[in-house]
Amino acid sequence: MSRVIVAAIASLIITIALALAVLERPTPTLSLPNLASTAITPGEAGVLHPITAVLLEFRSIDTLLEIAVLLVAVVVALALREAQPDGADRMGLDNPLLHAVVKLLLPLMLLVAAYLLWAGSTRPGGAFQAGAVLAGCGVLLRLAGTSLHGLERPRWLQGGRVLGLLVFVSVGIPPMLAGRAFLDYPADLAGGLILLIEAALTLSIALALLSLFRLAPPQSDSPAFPDRRKRRRA
Amino acid sequence: MSGGEALSWLLVVPLLAAIATLLAPGRWRGWGSLAALPLLWLAFTPVLAAFLHQGTLTTPLGGWSPPLGIALIGDGLALGLVGLTLGVFSLCALFAAADPDPEDHSHLWPLAWFLIAALNGIWLSGDVFNLYVGLELLGLAAVGLVALKGSAEALAAAMRYLLAALLGSLAYLIGVALLYAAAGSLALADLAQLDGGDTTVRVALALMAVGLMLKTALFPLHGWLPAAHGGALPAVSALLSALVVKASFIILLRLWLALDADPLAVVAAQAIGLLGAGAVFWGGWMAWRQARLKYLVAYSTVAQIGYLFLFFPLITGTGTDAARLAWDGTLLMLFAHALAKAGMFLAAGNLVRAVGSAQIADLAGVGRFRPLSLLSFGIAGVSIMGLPPSGGFTAKWLLLQSALASGQWPWLIVLMGGGLLSAVYVFKVLRHAFVEGPTRDTFRSPPTAAELAALTLALSSLVLGVAAHGLLALMRPDALSAVLEGAG
Repeated sequence: MSRVIVAAIASLIITIALALAVLERPTPTLSLPNLASTAITPGEAGVLHPITAVLLEFRSIDTLLEIAVLLVAVVVALALREAQPDGADRMGLDNPLLHAVVKLLLPLMLLVAAYLLWAGSTRPGGAFQAGAVLAGCGVLLRLAGTSLHGLERPRWLQGGRVLGLLVFVSVGIPPMLAGRAFLDYPADLAGGLILLIEAALTLSIALALLSLFRLAPPQSDSPAFPDRRKRRRA
Repeated sequence: MSGGEALSWLLVVPLLAAIATLLAPGRWRGWGSLAALPLLWLAFTPVLAAFLHQGTLTTPLGGWSPPLGIALIGDGLALGLVGLTLGVFSLCALFAAADPDPEDHSHLWPLAWFLIAALNGIWLSGDVFNLYVGLELLGLAAVGLVALKGSAEALAAAMRYLLAALLGSLAYLIGVALLYAAAGSLALADLAQLDGGDTTVRVALALMAVGLMLKTALFPLHGWLPAAHGGALPAVSALLSALVVKASFIILLRLWLALDADPLAVVAAQAIGLLGAGAVFWGGWMAWRQARLKYLVAYSTVAQIGYLFLFFPLITGTGTDAARLAWDGTLLMLFAHALAKAGMFLAAGNLVRAVGSAQIADLAGVGRFRPLSLLSFGIAGVSIMGLPPSGGFTAKWLLLQSALASGQWPWLIVLMGGGLLSAVYVFKVLRHAFVEGPTRDTFRSPPTAAELAALTLALSSLVLGVAAHGLLALMRPDALSAVLEGAG
């Protein structure tokens, strides 16, 4: 009980402090949005949308490290799964209705993913959104009990997950060899290189999210869906 | 300030090594990582040479300068810490690669390389949001390393560590948002222009300080540390205690110096110093009470972190001399503790392997059979206790001088009493190790490389005491002028 009281008091103090901080905030002298829009108007940044420009041009190192964070999460999940192997995989519903819906929706979802990736250079969108949609496709397939050939090969899967970071770092290195800064791609190639990075990132993000879903241990306390595949085989 | 492009290699090499170890089969990862270590040093040497030649290096990543872009800033402090990271990591990697443990810990390698990339990023970054991303990568890699053992105990420790790290990150992130709202920029150099007495800045700094203290495991926010550091693999414990907890401390130090113009800061600094004092005594007391060797060493980290936080009362509102001494003393303490504690954890790992038991009481007789491991533990203990001529001694001496120069004699009690307490727990281990008992007559030999790695780290913490001058001079110039301005 005393813990609850302490927590309540702490929350109250933090809320008041935050409210004060927000209400009393000084007017900043700098405006990054303005700086960003002047930087992308002459097309120097290789992309036209400010958010994509921030993610892959101005603050590209943040994005690069975030991809590394995602990869670390997958490595940890893999390590834990190997440390605690469990029984047969129970996921997948052999439901004809689900199959039909997946068959209908899947091409559309792939198209949405491709569109989001392409749209990123001129309007909201980009690798993270496209990757999330693609991962959604994978999860749906998984739940429908369909297995994709490539996803069953650990080496291919690992290669796909690493590809995004590898491409990102590799694209950043040549400018350094030419005496410029890391990730300082030449202005005339920037648009194409960013699309290349985004395409690789989309694949890797999708595979990483899907892997996290697949590596989660099956819930032992959820007998709602009995394993139909196994029962049919038996 | 040109020639800074080479700074990026300090990030790129560990990232490439992480990718390579991810793609390589498990059995190649350890030796492959050892083969990649020279590349890391090869990246560091020209940077250091350029720094000695022309002073602070900067490189705008992506070719965009702050405030729109992010710059890596290689000042003396950053490069000193990069050197420390490389040194400690090289020896820990040697220790881990020599590990004949039949259990497969191949996932250790990519995580360790990501950890090094995050550390180098944090030392070099001059942008508060980029520091947040660095902290995220660092925290998640560290949690993963703790969880590697896969035992129920390790998982519980890792989960606790994860929650503490996330809470700390969140507090830090709120602070970043507030500072951005106030300054319109995320670059540390721009944030230094802010009025430190402003409410928004105060709240931001307070939240960030609490978050970073939680991540550094300052008493009483240290609850997650002993299980995480005490339960991990020896090489992991060494990396976590030597380097990872220092990252959040350095961020707090840099923020404090950038935003220090607040009359309230003196009160806050004294409060932080009191927590540091609490850490020294509570950590020391708990270390003495531990029955397991690695938990004793982990609680010793809780205690030693306390000394670092004496920096704040000694540098805030004190004179130039006191501030200079506090700066030197704190950084030397950080280096000495990193080397000594890494050596101590590796030596403890060797001792535990030799007797096949984690209990201190089971060490009886090990002094006769594994003298080298025990010697490493003892030498590291000398620096932890702060006996001359170790780095720990010189650091405490500088802090003591600083406390005297600023007339804050109560901190003397902390420095002296903490030293006595650490002597008590270090001698507790030695006492058990020297018992000539019939309890055990078989000892497993740790690999020679593992023993040498522990000994090298312990010896360097000893040598640091007499060779500190060059290191401190390297780290002083630019950063200190900012300090002295603040201390005025």
